[in-house]
Amino acid sequence: MREFTHMEATTIEEASKNARKGNAMVIAGGTDLLGTLKDEILPVYPSVIIDLKTIKDLDKIEEEKDQIIIGALAKLADVADSQVARTNCQALAEACGKVASPTIRNMATLGGNICQMHRCWYFRTPDDRFHCGRKGGNTCPAYNGDNRYHSIFGQQNGCVAASSHDTAPALIALGAVIVTSSRAVLAEEFFAANGFRSCVLEDGEIVTHIRVPKSKKSVFEKFALRKSIDFPIVNCAAAYGADGTVRVAMGGVFPAPLRIKAAEAAVAGGITESTAKKAGDDAVADCTPLSGTAYKVEIARTMVKRTLLRLEGER
Amino acid sequence: MNGKVSRRDFLKAGGAGLAGVALSTLGIGTILGSETTAGDAQAAPGQELMYVCPVCGEKAEDFDGLRKHFKEKHPELESPKNMVLRINGADVGVYVEDHWTLRETLLRAVGLTGNAKEMCDRGGCGSCTVLIDGKPALACTTLAVECRGREIETSEGIAADPAYRPLVEAYVKYDASQCGYCTPGQFTVAKYILNKYPDPTEDQIRTELSGNICRCGTYSRHVQAIQEAAAAMKGGKS
Repeated sequence: MREFTHMEATTIEEASKNARKGNAMVIAGGTDLLGTLKDEILPVYPSVIIDLKTIKDLDKIEEEKDQIIIGALAKLADVADSQVARTNCQALAEACGKVASPTIRNMATLGGNICQMHRCWYFRTPDDRFHCGRKGGNTCPAYNGDNRYHSIFGQQNGCVAASSHDTAPALIALGAVIVTSSRAVLAEEFFAANGFRSCVLEDGEIVTHIRVPKSKKSVFEKFALRKSIDFPIVNCAAAYGADGTVRVAMGGVFPAPLRIKAAEAAVAGGITESTAKKAGDDAVADCTPLSGTAYKVEIARTMVKRTLLRLEGER
Repeated sequence: MNGKVSRRDFLKAGGAGLAGVALSTLGIGTILGSETTAGDAQAAPGQELMYVCPVCGEKAEDFDGLRKHFKEKHPELESPKNMVLRINGADVGVYVEDHWTLRETLLRAVGLTGNAKEMCDRGGCGSCTVLIDGKPALACTTLAVECRGREIETSEGIAADPAYRPLVEAYVKYDASQCGYCTPGQFTVAKYILNKYPDPTEDQIRTELSGNICRCGTYSRHVQAIQEAAAAMKGGKS
């Protein structure tokens, strides 16, 4: 890694103020950021790294009336093992337990997982070798290159990378609200191809905690090539809302994780084998796969069906 | 002096020497990587040199000015740092630069080579796993400056602990380290497994070790070794 100065923040305000100035980045678990810096995949390199782990009380998992409040610095392993999370937002606990490897889950935070940069092998080639649209270039090398792990729902802001956050579909299905240092954003509006970020955060904006409404039942399913240390090909979460309706969200199919309203409509009358199958078909009805991603359509179709059947089966 | 230098002593001396050289040549010039910027800018004549403080935005006339400004206004941000790390139960005074990972620090400044070899260095293989406050963490993806006041344990410390002698013996017996590259990481997680589960099942061991990749394919031997060590350690205790 090239040199930078490490700075310990004591409050969110201080961290946010300093992160806005000049060339600074914030670090929580560091599992995504340090790899990014080692490979120098971005055209910019920070001169200051602001440590958020020194801010107190940001890693709590608390129950409050009809919602669960999870601090952005809560470790993924802690969320996965938390009894509060397992009972009230099972999909999120399951998703946190399926990210990367047990060791990484001991280090990585929930806030970091939703703010991580997307996984596209052109974007992440060391030394900014493919200066793609997300980094300020003109072209997307994935259109004509090998795009087997990319989007099946077309592009967003010129990018066809697939979202890779495991916790994101769970948060969207559960209708979570992500609270930052300056505002509160609904989870389904939080993720987007936004420069080299994969979320709508602006300079100096820091996720502080996540409010997850309680759900009587929610599940998460992940399809990846390896059981451990792998990003999803497709992941899917489904949850019962407070009013009894089913919400479905899918990741790995678009630059941002998507809420699949077509699938929700298909199971509005109840989940059976046939409505779940129809939900899967409807979910991918208007997809536009790239040259290498046609196989992902079938995986996505099955994942929606499988997730919904599991939601019904374990109710 | 008997003229004999052990491997560890040699490495320790090497580490200290390296740190000393880095300290004298880099001095505090490593602040903010500005030295690199200055070098780059000199290579491109005609380009105006900018010495702007990245924290408060104040402009300085030259690099020395920026250095002075930094020393006065942001003393907490100075790099490099001399700090104390608690490694294997001992307080070790080390010289650390802000951008050094724990792996680099263990290798360069402390001289512990087991978990500190450069493996994938991206958090993908688990070979550099150390225990930080009793939990497995990747040394290659942890900044050393963030480990102040935390308990770090490496495979060397575990191997030297008499309580974990059965684990070492079981690893030798089942030849759980073939080429040995990934073994320090697996061995460190093995201690964590023995602490977490007194009587670990194959499933539990495989799940906990799923972050450690072995190219030789010794996976099943780790299960055998850890289970035998668990049985031996339980027998010894009661």
